[in-house]
Amino acid sequence: MNSQSSDLHVAATGTSPEVDFRFSEHRLALKGESYPENAAAFYGELVARVRAYLTGLAGAGEVTFDVALTYFNSSSTKMLFALFDALNEAAGAGTRVVLNWHHDVDDDTIEEFGAELHEEFPALDFRDIAVDA
Amino acid sequence: MNYSEFRDFSASVARRRIVFYYFGYFSQNTVSAMAEAIRLQFEQAEPVASTRRKLFSCFVEMAQNITHYSAGALTPPEQRDGQVRQGSVCIGAEGEHYYLLCANPVARTDVDALRRKLEPLRSMTIDEIKRAYRETLRAEPEEGSKGAGLGFLTVARDASGPLEFEFTPHDGDTVMFYLKATI
Repeated sequence: MNSQSSDLHVAATGTSPEVDFRFSEHRLALKGESYPENAAAFYGELVARVRAYLTGLAGAGEVTFDVALTYFNSSSTKMLFALFDALNEAAGAGTRVVLNWHHDVDDDTIEEFGAELHEEFPALDFRDIAVDA
Repeated sequence: MNYSEFRDFSASVARRRIVFYYFGYFSQNTVSAMAEAIRLQFEQAEPVASTRRKLFSCFVEMAQNITHYSAGALTPPEQRDGQVRQGSVCIGAEGEHYYLLCANPVARTDVDALRRKLEPLRSMTIDEIKRAYRETLRAEPEEGSKGAGLGFLTVARDASGPLEFEFTPHDGDTVMFYLKATI
């Protein structure tokens, strides 16, 4: 059963975010800054794990994803897009997916990218959460 | 250089309003350390958060471009992690603006491709840059790219005016590539 697939926890580094994917609780979180040398490798692994988890849900259940990234470089942006694409597909298949998009209240770049995600991935229950730092 | 010459050198750097300069090898670790130094510096010197963010973002894109693509490489071309390449980066102030300048050698055969990427960005409005960014975000990654093909677009998006670039003769099969962004 995929609902028992092991959780994934990766500690933050100076250039990569904390990954806290509690598949067993259906709660996923990314937090910190993201500019690893090889974003395709870093996020490729995450996308693969999330896809496997979502396949196991088979269009049922509810997932909450909290994203609180304070900076991400261009190659991370591309990979995040792929990650949300996977979630959007699952949401289209019936799994309820809540995306909590946390950003600093005056960070226009991250807010705009959130708006972009909201538009591109309409099946996600997108919630813009502006934080007054 | 004696103490007196060093004092003169430091005074001249301050007079030129140069905030940061590095010439040497770029790796993920040196980029991370420089990013921290730049963040600390601008937390003190620049009150506008969006300006600080743009400076930081441009710095990371430029520095990682050097790590990934400079022709002055210590690591083999096929190596994808732990790359080390040579280049330089400078951050300074001019009038009311900051600028970032970076330089690294590139293969002569890569010059045309770089021109084709950069030249169109110079005449685009900010809305056109954002549109191109959105399209590239959705596109398949380009052949030979180690990132998303979004690096120059990100720098162009953060800049307050057109990007400037230049190629000057270097040695043998390489030319020196300069890129300047004004924030």
